[in-house]
Amino acid sequence: MRLCLAVSLIASLCVTAYAQAPAKKYTPPKTPDGQPSIEGFWTNTTVTPLERPKDLGSKEFFTPEEAAAYAKKVLETKEVTGPGTYADVHYDMSQFGLTRAQNKIAGNTRTSIIVGPEGRVPAMLPAAAQRNAARAAANKGHEFDGPENRGLAERCLLWGNEGPPMLPAGYNSNLQIVQGKGYVTVMQEMIHDVRVIPTDGRAHLDPSIRQWFGDSVGHWEGNTLVVDTTNFTDRTAMRGSSENLHVVERFTRTDDDTVLYQFTVSDPSTWEKSWSGELPMSKTAGPIFEYACHEGNYGMANNLSGARAEEKAKASK
Amino acid sequence: MRNRLVLGFVALGMAAVPVLAHHSFAAEYDPGKPVKLKGKVTEMEWINPHSWIHLDVTGADGKVTSWMIEGGSPNALLRQGFTKTALPAGAEIVVEGYQAKDGSARANGRDITYADGRKLFMGSSGDGAPDAKK
Amino acid sequence: MYAEGLETGFVDFGQAVTIRSRSRMNLASTITSSIATFVLIAASAAGQTAYKAPRVDGHPDLNGIWQANNTANWDLEGHAAAIGPVPSLGAEFAVPPGLSVVEGGKIPYLPEAEAKKKANFARRFRDDPEIRCYLPGIPRATYMPYPFQIVQGRTQIMFTYEFAGGVRSVNMGKAGEAPVDSWMGWSAGRWEGDALVVDVTGLNAKTWFDRAGNFHSNELHVVERYTPRSADTLMYEATMEDPKTFSKPWKISMPLYRRVEKDARLLEYKCPEFTEELIYGPLRKQPKKQIE
Repeated sequence: MRLCLAVSLIASLCVTAYAQAPAKKYTPPKTPDGQPSIEGFWTNTTVTPLERPKDLGSKEFFTPEEAAAYAKKVLETKEVTGPGTYADVHYDMSQFGLTRAQNKIAGNTRTSIIVGPEGRVPAMLPAAAQRNAARAAANKGHEFDGPENRGLAERCLLWGNEGPPMLPAGYNSNLQIVQGKGYVTVMQEMIHDVRVIPTDGRAHLDPSIRQWFGDSVGHWEGNTLVVDTTNFTDRTAMRGSSENLHVVERFTRTDDDTVLYQFTVSDPSTWEKSWSGELPMSKTAGPIFEYACHEGNYGMANNLSGARAEEKAKASK
Repeated sequence: MRNRLVLGFVALGMAAVPVLAHHSFAAEYDPGKPVKLKGKVTEMEWINPHSWIHLDVTGADGKVTSWMIEGGSPNALLRQGFTKTALPAGAEIVVEGYQAKDGSARANGRDITYADGRKLFMGSSGDGAPDAKK
Repeated sequence: MYAEGLETGFVDFGQAVTIRSRSRMNLASTITSSIATFVLIAASAAGQTAYKAPRVDGHPDLNGIWQANNTANWDLEGHAAAIGPVPSLGAEFAVPPGLSVVEGGKIPYLPEAEAKKKANFARRFRDDPEIRCYLPGIPRATYMPYPFQIVQGRTQIMFTYEFAGGVRSVNMGKAGEAPVDSWMGWSAGRWEGDALVVDVTGLNAKTWFDRAGNFHSNELHVVERYTPRSADTLMYEATMEDPKTFSKPWKISMPLYRRVEKDARLLEYKCPEFTEELIYGPLRKQPKKQIE
C-alpha cells in the first residue's frame, strides 16, 4: 500500500506502508533468459536512519502520517553554523542539487533500516572492539602522515554506502541494474564500482583470495535474488567487521517502481549476533553519470598539503 | 548568522556513513582565512568527487590571480539537465569561502552566486529547486 | 581426417588434394572430408565467416568474458622488442614485440600532433595515465591485458573491465548527447546485422591509446563493432575520428577471445592503492621506507 503526502519542497513523498513482508501478488517481467527483472535505475535515497532513534524504543513502524511528518522534519532541518568555525567550511549542498529535499526519496514507514525490536547494530564482541580500538590508536597522531593514514573513502578505494550491504549515501544514492545471461550487475553511482553477480549458485572463491567487496554469488528463489557474499579483506572493515564478514542480500521486485532490498550481516568475530535490515529502492530516471573518484581526487593531495603547511607553521613558532 | 541547510545526519543520525566524511574540508581549508572573491570563470571541471571552478580574480593592484573553487559533485546537476556549457568561460561569479591551509589560491565554494546575486544553478531550498524526478 | 600415410602438409587452394594414401579403404571418406575442408577454408578465405551467433532477445548473444591477446596496449603500431623502464626487472618487464593492429600500419597524425606523440613517447614511462591507474577510456579498455565482461540487458549492455574496475553502460535506446566529458565516454549502441555497433563520444582528452604515447583530443569519436566470429571469438573493430589530432579517420581491428575456463570471472583489480606512493609520496610527512 502506498500513500503519497505533500512534504515541503518535493512534489510528494510516497511511502510504502507495510507491517509484514509484502504479499507476492506482483509478477515481475522476465529477462530473455527467464530471470525476474530487477533491471533499471533505482534510488535508495531515504530519510530512514540505519539505526532506530533511541527515543522510539521498540517501535518498528510509523503510521503513514507519522512517516510523512518525520520526513518533513528531516528534510526541513537547517543547521546554523557560525562563521569562522570548521562546520562552516564546506559548500552549500543545495547549490548543486545534492540535498535530499531536492531528490526523489524512496519512502517507507519503518523507523529504522535495521529491523526487529532493537533496530540497532548489536553490541560488538570485546575482542572486536579491542581490534578496532587498537587500529584507531595506532593511527592517532598520524592521521595525516600519508595516504594510508586517511580513510578508505578519501583514498577512493571503497565507500561506506557500497557495502555490501548497500546503504543509502547522502546524495547520488543511485544504482543501475543490468541483467544478462546468468548474471546480475549492480553498479552504484558512488563510487562507480560494479558488482558482477553470477546467478548459478556456484562455489565461492578460494579462501586465499580476499576482495574489498568480497565475492558475491547469487541464485533465484522464486522472484527473489539471493546474493551470498564472503571472502572480504580484513581492511574492508564494514562498521568494524573482520575478514569473516558474511552478507546475504535479497532483491525482490514488489511492483513496477519498487525493488525491496533486504540484507543480513553476520560476523562471528565482530558481533554477538547477526543483524538485518530492509529498505525499498524506487525507480528513478537514468542515466548514472560517471564518478571517477581516484581520477578527480584533488582532495587527498590538498589535505596532505594542508597538513604539511600546518606543521611548518607550528614548527616556525 | 547564517542559516544553511546541511545534511540531516548531523542532527538526526544518517542512514549510512556520512558522505561529508569522505574527505575532510577542515583539513584542507582554514576557517581563519575567510575570502570573498569576485571574478570571471575560466573553466569548470565537471568531475567527482568535487567539481572545481577556475576563477580569474583581479586584485586591487590590477594583478590577476587564478583561483580554484571546490564545489559539489556535479551529477545531480547533470540529472537536472545542466551540461558543461551551463557555467561558460567569462561568466562573472562571487564566491564566499575559506582559503586553503597551504596558502594556495584555492577556496571552498561555500556560497556561490552570479554577479546579479542569483545562487549558482539550483539556489537554496525553495528558491528555484526543481520538481522531484519521477 | 586425412587417410593414414598422407604427407603432412597443407591444402593448396585451386589444386586437387593430393592423396598419398596407401590405404584404399578410407579413400571415399578422405575425399569427402577433404572437400569439406576445402570448402570451409575457401569460405573463410573469402572473408565471410559462416558463423551465426545464437540469439538472445532476437539479437546476437555477446554475453561472456572476453580478452584480447596481443600487444596493442604496449603500442598500436608495429614494434620490435625493446628494453623496459626498470633495469632491475630485466626481462620481466621489457617491451614485447608486436604487429600493428592499425589498418594501413600507421596512425595518421596531423603534423603538430605527430610532434606531441613523439614527446609523449619520450616520456611514456612517466606520463602514461595507466601508470596512475586512471581509467583507460575506449578503445584502450578493450585491449588491455585483462579480461572484461559483457552483460547484455534489454535496453542497456554493461561492459565491465577488470583493470581499475572500469565500467560503461551502452545505451541501446536514445542516448542523446554527452552532457560532459568523462573517462569512459558516452556510449550509444545499435545492432547492424550480427554486429553490435557502439558510438562513443564525450571522451575526455586525458587517456592514451597505448603505452607508446598515442593520444587524442576531447573531440575523439570512436565507432566500435563487435561481430561474433565463432562460438568463442569476436571480431573487434574501432574507427577513430578526431579532426584536431588526425588527418583522417583510422581503424584498428583484432580478435577477442572468450575466457572459457569453467570458473572464469573478473577479479578485483583496484589499483589506486598501488599508485599512492607515486602520486602522493612527495606530500608525506616522512618518506616511505623503500622495500628492497
